[in-house]
Amino acid sequence: MQRAILPRLCAAVLVLAANLAHADEAGVDNDSVTFGQSAAFSGPAQDLGIEMRRGIEMAFAEANETGGVFGRALELVSLDDAYEPEAAIANTMELITEENVFALIGAVGTPTSRSAVPVAHAEDVPYIAPFTGAAFLRDRQWSNVINLRASYYQETEKIVDFLTTSLGIDRIGVFYQDDSFGQAGLRGVQIALERRGLQMVGTGVYPRNTRAVKTGLLDLRSANPDAVVLIGAYQPVARFIAWAKQIGFEPHFMTISFVGSNALIEELGPASSGIFVTQVVPPPHGNESAVIIEDGLLHSVGADTTDTSLPIVEHYRQLLARMYPQTPPGFVSLEGYLAGRLVVSILESCGVSPDRACFLETMTYHHVIDLGGFSVRFGYDNQGSDAVYLTVVDDQGRYRKVVETAGDAGGGE
Amino acid sequence: MFRRLYNLRSRISAQLTIAIMGAVAMTVISGMVGWYSFDRVADAQRRVSEGTVPAIAAAFGIAQQSGALAAAAPKLAAASTQLDLTYAGFEIQQNREEFARQLQLLEELGGDEEHFRPIRTQGRALVSTIVDIEDLMWNLFAFEASRQRLRDRMAVLSREFNHFLVPAIDDQLFYAMTGYRVLGEVPMVRTHAFTDSEILRYRTLSEVHSGTTVAFEILATVFNTSSITLLEPLRERFEAVRRGIHNNINTLPDGEERRLLDNLFTEMDRLGSGEGSGFDIRQRELEAEIELQETLELNQSLALNLVNNVEKLVSVAEDAAINATAASEDAILTGRNLLIGISLASFVGAALISWLYVGRGLIRRLSLLSDHMRVMAKGDLEREIEVRGSDEIAEMSSALEVFRQHALEVQRLNLVEKMANELKAKNELIETALNDLEKAQDQIVMREKLAALGELTAGVAHEIRNPLNFIKNFAEGSTELLEEMVEEIEALLADVEENEETKERRDLVQEIVDDLVENTRLIRQHGTRADSIVQNMLMMGRGSGERQPAAINPLVDEHARLAYHSARATDTNFQAELVFELDPEVPEMHIIPQDIGRVFLNLIGNACYAADDRRRKVREADPSARFDPVIRISTKKLDDGVEISIRDNGTGIPDDVIGKIFNPFFTTKPTDQGTGLGLAMSNDIIREHGGTITVDSEPDSYTEFTVHLPFDTTPTTNDSSPAPPD
Repeated sequence: MQRAILPRLCAAVLVLAANLAHADEAGVDNDSVTFGQSAAFSGPAQDLGIEMRRGIEMAFAEANETGGVFGRALELVSLDDAYEPEAAIANTMELITEENVFALIGAVGTPTSRSAVPVAHAEDVPYIAPFTGAAFLRDRQWSNVINLRASYYQETEKIVDFLTTSLGIDRIGVFYQDDSFGQAGLRGVQIALERRGLQMVGTGVYPRNTRAVKTGLLDLRSANPDAVVLIGAYQPVARFIAWAKQIGFEPHFMTISFVGSNALIEELGPASSGIFVTQVVPPPHGNESAVIIEDGLLHSVGADTTDTSLPIVEHYRQLLARMYPQTPPGFVSLEGYLAGRLVVSILESCGVSPDRACFLETMTYHHVIDLGGFSVRFGYDNQGSDAVYLTVVDDQGRYRKVVETAGDAGGGE
Repeated sequence: MFRRLYNLRSRISAQLTIAIMGAVAMTVISGMVGWYSFDRVADAQRRVSEGTVPAIAAAFGIAQQSGALAAAAPKLAAASTQLDLTYAGFEIQQNREEFARQLQLLEELGGDEEHFRPIRTQGRALVSTIVDIEDLMWNLFAFEASRQRLRDRMAVLSREFNHFLVPAIDDQLFYAMTGYRVLGEVPMVRTHAFTDSEILRYRTLSEVHSGTTVAFEILATVFNTSSITLLEPLRERFEAVRRGIHNNINTLPDGEERRLLDNLFTEMDRLGSGEGSGFDIRQRELEAEIELQETLELNQSLALNLVNNVEKLVSVAEDAAINATAASEDAILTGRNLLIGISLASFVGAALISWLYVGRGLIRRLSLLSDHMRVMAKGDLEREIEVRGSDEIAEMSSALEVFRQHALEVQRLNLVEKMANELKAKNELIETALNDLEKAQDQIVMREKLAALGELTAGVAHEIRNPLNFIKNFAEGSTELLEEMVEEIEALLADVEENEETKERRDLVQEIVDDLVENTRLIRQHGTRADSIVQNMLMMGRGSGERQPAAINPLVDEHARLAYHSARATDTNFQAELVFELDPEVPEMHIIPQDIGRVFLNLIGNACYAADDRRRKVREADPSARFDPVIRISTKKLDDGVEISIRDNGTGIPDDVIGKIFNPFFTTKPTDQGTGLGLAMSNDIIREHGGTITVDSEPDSYTEFTVHLPFDTTPTTNDSSPAPPD
């Protein structure tokens, strides 16, 4: 108790001092707006934090190159929480009270967000575009949360729909991380199955931040599902798939966006071929050809026909090639970039002296914010996008969009 | 000498001196009584302040400090941080020193050793418990800190165990079930993988994992328990679990895995057994807490006794103070009673003096004197002032009497002078009246003369009319005769030969005839003109007439010319220009033409006089100056009547006179030239026609009279004076 009051007092004093000095909002001064990020930059989920930060920094650097927003440069302070909730709380407090940030952006993970959001909410600090689709963040009680991406429920719904409709599979199992993230994914699959009158055939669990996936693998193998939905970070998921293939257990592997698509392929190598991953941002590579499902089988269509990427994705690729020539395009950094662009867009609409209240008011407007072809809309809920894209890894280790053709697609019940 | 002193007896100053000296004597007596009382009070107070007050102060000081000391232990025990404890310790250190100092002070004052001894011993005991408590508190903080350190180490250790054991168990199970140990390698055949030893290894690892989990849970409980009796059973359980883990680890084959677990186990053992372990620290901490509790209780009872004893000490000091206070109160009471007695005596004395001497002897006589003065001020100086006695008031009375007699004389002189002045004023009045009378007489004579002149004129006119008729008639007859004569001459000359000579003579005759015709015409014309002048004179003399319709413009024109010629007749030097602005719309009015004509004659005559007067004055001032008198006469038809205005550029009417010009007999002309009746009469005539005359003027600039005649010319009923000028 005693420890908690002091930082709050400090925060109050700092906020007051900042107000007196600039007559401005915290984190906003004459030539900069400071944002804070607490995410995993070490441990088994580190690629997610690193790529998310890369995307946000790209958007900020791009805005700063043209003089910032109303003359203010956008700055990002990132702290490592190693995907541990306790560290996420400490980081969030530090960002709010010591770094005096205007808003928090690009947090990674469900259990970490779950711990950090109440802290930010107590101070009315905007919590923008966390890299998680957990349902609790879509609850309107968190008046400070601005979600960019579609929810896990929407992703699992997409997966189950695809499995049952396009592939005609109804024996589905779930492998999940034994925490709130895993529970969210598990619950999403359960809801989607119940809607179709189906039941889950089996589950497997692994402890967070370990690679101990084999016990869960054995559990699932004994249940023998035709498809396994994997709800976890890329390292354990990759390990699970590798070992499953090793022991000849080869159902369809389905996973959701949190897995961190590029990291998954890097971790898994050639064994990643055929894994389905749902994405909440458009495919970033630009030259992927689509894959068509016919008669429950995948058919590649020519590489030259489906470059239908959005203007913002094109723009992102060019920017990435210029700023990080060594880094390939990725879903996570694209999501980070979109989050950064959303922030720039909202800041611009808030005018010369932005404040947190104006920032959060965005969620009450019913208008569409067009980020170069990728539309977000708040007002009905605090989630900007409902888009879910299904991709599959081909034998070259590339993500390819799955296109379901009408007619032949109806392989399910 | 004595006689003079005896005589002074009756003077007020002497009497007042005696009274004041009496008052001073009374004051001195009061002062002495007061002195005596204060001395006694001070005596009593000195006894209080020298004996009792320091004792009370010291007792109260001790009471205060002992209270602070009694509160010290709970304050120390309540400290939740080391900083709080440091502050509390510092504060209590000060209290202790102050307590010792107060006790020392009280002992130096001497007094009741029987009361001091228990206080001193109890105070020392209390202080020693406080020191103990402070030490214990410091120990407790130290224990808490080391407990926290242990807890942190335990968390790290637990994570390390899990980090190793969870994947190891996972791998071991998987190996036993599938034969795979390394990804990508060929699996072990089931007969090799699924052996007793592999299963035992799985069991060993699982038991180590669950054992460590339990061990850490026991340690967490130890850190949180507040009961010292629970420690022993927990220790026993921990040792059992520890033994189990140890045995399990020992069954593992030598190798890196074994060494790692051995190291981790040794770390864990340090947390759980021996000196500095969680148990040890927690036990000592709980023991310290118990000791603290006991010391606190001892401290409380000591504090209670100390406070009681100090209260006794304070009550002894208070008793002494109460006695001393009672003595001083006695002294105060006596002094007060004495002072009240003296004050009463003084008051009665003062009342008697003011009633008998001042009231009856002085004030009554002074008010009598002031009554006299008031009567004199009102003017009654007849009342004589009585002088009695030989004091200052008697002197004042005689002085007032002298003043009264002087005033009486002055008053009489004033009266005579006033009467002389009144007489002079009345004489002046009479003289003025006489002057007015003479003036009126002159005017009456003038009127008589004018009336006689009027009658004379009428008679003369009548007589002149007859010869004028003859002239007119014979002139006409002569004209007719001339015509006949011309016809005859024409006939006569018809036969005459026409030649140079005859033509010349015929032309001469014709010329003579023409001259004759012209002459008779002139005779008749001037005869008619003379007749009209006489006619006018007759009209003027008549003075009144009948109302009849008459045109205003010809009336104005005729009388203007009459006035002009009249002015020319009186003064050959007179010259003025008449300007007419007559409105042709002005209708005939139902008026008495002679009267209205007289008004115009009068107004235009005045205008001529004023204009000419100014011309003359301008000439007198500067013979070379040029002034053109102009009289402007205008008529105008209004909605309700006709307005005739006569404006001259003459001398004007001064402001002080303009209000009086319509008064009868008021004139500014020389007595032989004006009757002062003209304007008065004009005003009367216009009023009889229901109209008004107004005047507007500026001295040496202009004067304009405006006559307003309504279409309804019945006389105005109210007899008001004409409207004042603008």
